Parts: sequence; C-alpha cells; structure tokens
Amino acid sequence: MSTPSGLRTTSWLRPFAATFVTAVFFVPLYVVLVNVFKQGQDITADPVGLPVPPSLDSVRQVLSRPDHLFWYGLVNSVEITAISITAVTVISAMLGHYLARSQGRWARAALAFLLCGLMIPPAVILEPVTEVLRSLGLMTTIVGLVLVNVGYYVPFGVFVFTGFMKTIPIELEEAAALDGAGRFRIFWQIVFPLLRPASASVLIFLGVWVWNDFLNPLLLLGPASGTTVTVGIYRAIGEHHSDFGQVFALMFLATLPVLIFYLAFQKHFVKGLTGGATKG
Amino acid sequence: MAATLTQRAGEGFRAGRPATTPRNGRRRLTKALHFLTFGAPGLLIYLALVMLPIVMTVRTSFTNRNPANPPTTWVGLHNYTRLLHDSDFTGALWNTVIVSVIVTVAANALGLAIALLLDRPGRLYNLLRSVFFTPVVLSSVVVSVIWQAILADDGLLDTVLRNLGVADPPGWLSDPDIALYSVASIITWQTLGFCVVVYLAGLAGVPTELLEAAEIDGAGRLARFRHVTWPMLAPAVTINTIMLLISGFKAFDQIQVLTNGGPGNGTTSTIAFQVVQTTFTGNHIGYGAAMATAMLVIIAALAVLALRILQRREVTL
Repeated sequence: MSTPSGLRTTSWLRPFAATFVTAVFFVPLYVVLVNVFKQGQDITADPVGLPVPPSLDSVRQVLSRPDHLFWYGLVNSVEITAISITAVTVISAMLGHYLARSQGRWARAALAFLLCGLMIPPAVILEPVTEVLRSLGLMTTIVGLVLVNVGYYVPFGVFVFTGFMKTIPIELEEAAALDGAGRFRIFWQIVFPLLRPASASVLIFLGVWVWNDFLNPLLLLGPASGTTVTVGIYRAIGEHHSDFGQVFALMFLATLPVLIFYLAFQKHFVKGLTGGATKG
Repeated sequence: MAATLTQRAGEGFRAGRPATTPRNGRRRLTKALHFLTFGAPGLLIYLALVMLPIVMTVRTSFTNRNPANPPTTWVGLHNYTRLLHDSDFTGALWNTVIVSVIVTVAANALGLAIALLLDRPGRLYNLLRSVFFTPVVLSSVVVSVIWQAILADDGLLDTVLRNLGVADPPGWLSDPDIALYSVASIITWQTLGFCVVVYLAGLAGVPTELLEAAEIDGAGRLARFRHVTWPMLAPAVTINTIMLLISGFKAFDQIQVLTNGGPGNGTTSTIAFQVVQTTFTGNHIGYGAAMATAMLVIIAALAVLALRILQRREVTL
C-alpha cells in the first residue's frame, strides 16, 4: 500500500541523506586537506574556506626543514615497514604451515600459546622489551624494532595462515613428496603460491599497522634521526604549536603513502576484514 | 637474507630426501631440521620478545624497582595492595571503562545506521564507503593531531564558533568535565568505518529471498529488519563489539597526543597511558609492572568472555 510512494521518496532521499551524513563525517579530513595548501596566517583567519589561490609554502617548508625530520623519518618508516612485513609474512607462513601440518598435542598447544599473543597490549611488555633489546645490544636500532614487530605480529600472521591452510589439500603436498620434492621445495613452490590471498591480507594489514605505530618507535628508537614519520608528527606538534600549516603539511605527506596503499588495495582490505564477519 | 634462505633451502633439500628411508636416526634428524627451519624462528622471536617480557613484567611487579631509588628488593604483594588504593589507577580504570563503553555503543549504533544507509550498489555508495573507511587506515597520531587542531582552545572549531558570535565556546579538551567525552567521540570517529564495513558485509550476507518472502507475508520495513536482518547480523555485532572493547582498553596514542592525561590530574588517563606514565616518566618500574599485570589480567578476562560468546553464537547460528 505504502510501497510505491515509499519507493519514490527514498529514491532521492537516500542518496541525499547518505551524502549529507558522509559530508559531516568528512569535515575533519576536509579541514586538513584545505589547510595543507594555505599559508599559516590564512588558516586561523579562515579555517574552513577553500585555499584560493592554493599555496605550497607549508609543504615546501616541511620538505626543506634544516633538521630533515620528514626525510629521515620517511627513510626509516619505509625501511622498518618493508623489512617487518616481509619478515612477518615469511616467518609466520612457514610457522603456520608447520603447525597446521604437524599432528599431535604439542603443535596444538603451541598454536594456542601463539594466539594468546593476539590480545596482549604493547604497554604491558614495553619495559622488559627494552631490557631484552638492551641485553642484545639492539636498543635504539632499526633491527631491534623490526624484531619486536616480528614477535608482536607473528601471532596475527599465524592466525591468518593456519586458517587459510585448511583450504589447501594436503594431497598436493603428499604427491609432491612422493615425487621426491623436499620440504622447502614443497613449501616454496606449491604451498606459498597458494597462500597468496592470505599473504596479501597479512602484508596489507601489517603495512598499515607498522607504518602507523607510535608507542614502539617512540620508545625503542632514539630521538632525531632515528624517528619514524609517525613519531615525527608527534615531535613536530611540540615545536610549532600554533603553526597548523606545517603540522598539516607534515601529516599530509606522512599519510600519503598509506592512503595510496589503501586506495590501491582497498578490495583486499575489505575482504580481509570481513572474512570473519560473514562466515560467523 | 637471500643468502641464508637459499642456504637453508639447500639443507632442507638434503634433509628432506631421506625421509622415505626407514632409518630412524635419519628421520629424527629430518624432523629436527624441519622444526629448526620452519617452526623455530617464529617461535623463538615470539618467546624472546613477547612471552619472556610478560614473565619479566610479572616478576618485576613483586619488587620496588626504581632506577632513581636503588637497591631493588622484593616487596611481595605490596604493589598490588597499593593499586587498590591508588586513585590514579582506579580513576584510569574507570576512564578506560567509560571510553570503551561509549565507543562500543556509539560506533555500533552509528555504524549499523550508516551501513543500512549505504547498503546500495553504485558508484556514489562505493565512494561514500571509502570516505568512512579512511580514518581506519590513518595513524592514531594523525587522527589525534587533526582533532586537536579542531578542538583545542583557540582551535579551528572555537574560531568558527566565535565568528558565529558564540562568546565563550566550551574547552573541548581543556574542561575536565568534557575532555573524556571528546576523547571517546574522537575514537568513535576513528573506528566507525570499521563497524560500517563489517555491517555492510553482514548485510550483504542476508539472502534477498528471505526478505522478499517476509515482504510477501506482509512484514513491514521495521518487522523485516527486526525479524530477518537483525538476527542475521549477530556475527557482525559480536565481531564489532569485541574489536571495539579490546581496542578501547588498549587506547594510548590518542591520550598521549590529545590531552597527555589531563586536564588536571588524570581526568582522561586510561590504564595503558597510566602504565606507560608510571613506568617511563615516573620511573616506578616495579609499581608500573603491577599495573601492567593487572591490565593484562583484565584484558585476558575480557578476551575469554568474548571467546565464550563467539563460540556460543556459532553454535546457535
């Protein structure tokens, strides 16, 4: 009875309401985007106006800072993120395969023991982690931070890979073993290529997490040249409390790689996130 | 890296082949090599940098360790009894509960409403969904700095409000009665996209035949939602609730950047923030370790509870 008229109202109401709600949600991001391209004094004068004419002054200032905060941070972030996510993916794929294919009680116990790590807050273990790193001579080094990332994220990787292993028939591996392939050849030539969707999930999520990490690099890396871009933003707000232009420009530049990464892998992202939600 | 990998691969090869021969010693050697190459690296790093530190934290929590005040001695349960009477800790615990509950309820409710609004095909809706998900990939530091620029005294929002003629706009982050709710709202904004995406996936899993059948039977829009869609969203609700509760309990970055625990004495401090503050700024490592242990126990209890609920849902679905 009310369906025809109801349909007609929603046909324009829904897109309108959806766009409006999204626009409200978008305001904070809009504020950053327009103010990156304004000069310092124009921001406080008119924080929400469009940047006419757009100015690259703030961006230029950040890129040419005498202390190279952005460039040092960028190099460190790229290095730490790239090595950490590659190491976690390889190590946890091998461990996940090993545990999923090992029969017996102790393999199941090891898996449960690893999965406990999924819920541990970094703040709980941070102080002893600094002690362990110091005793290894790896405190304030990139290698140390990478190792901490590997230890902390291996449970997530193993969780994803052991789940995905269930879709790979063991007969494939048995056939390869009968043909004389060794364990490494079986893993690298047969199993690992089949794990590609799981690897993609792990790489993408870790890429964002490691790039955005704050507490670990703040306390485990040294100041100044040892910092990452994310920590660099935090350091910069201390210095230019009211120069929003530079802070926004630094934030924009530091986030650009993640945003591009996100837009490129958007589909994977959503798939990785929602795998559990639909299966229930 | 590449060199060690190929070297290890070579070992695996040589070790892998004799697995078919019946000789026991060789087989045991193969097994050991398999464990050393596949299992050990991950387990070892995890043990050294996650599990050993937990043991160390628990051990330290029974001492008065403080580098500014040696020597370190065993103090038994003293740190734990002190925790119970420490208003900084109980206050932080209470703040954490408030933030977690607000974020969980608000992000779930808004997330479901927005997912229902955006649950249509087409380019416009794809674009709008991407906008909602963007804050999820931003670092908490970036999110906090954006909101700080907006909400600080003399920040962008107050500038706009003053231009509109509001003489004395509220101190969003500087008024002790408001700051905690500002922080909770910011975390809600940040995590909302996650909820939206999970609910959209849940909605996509509701069979249209069911909805059509209900419509033919005369069920109105509300009845269809209540009796068809909502029950089928149960797993999405569970996932969102667990993720949001646990991330609320871990909240640290936002507090550090936005308020540094203030205004005043710890009005926005969370337990994670309190642990870091006590341990690294205050140098009370023993006492901080007791706080950390308490936090771990609380989160473990939450996780066990969450797992129970998840398993029960799976059974009934």
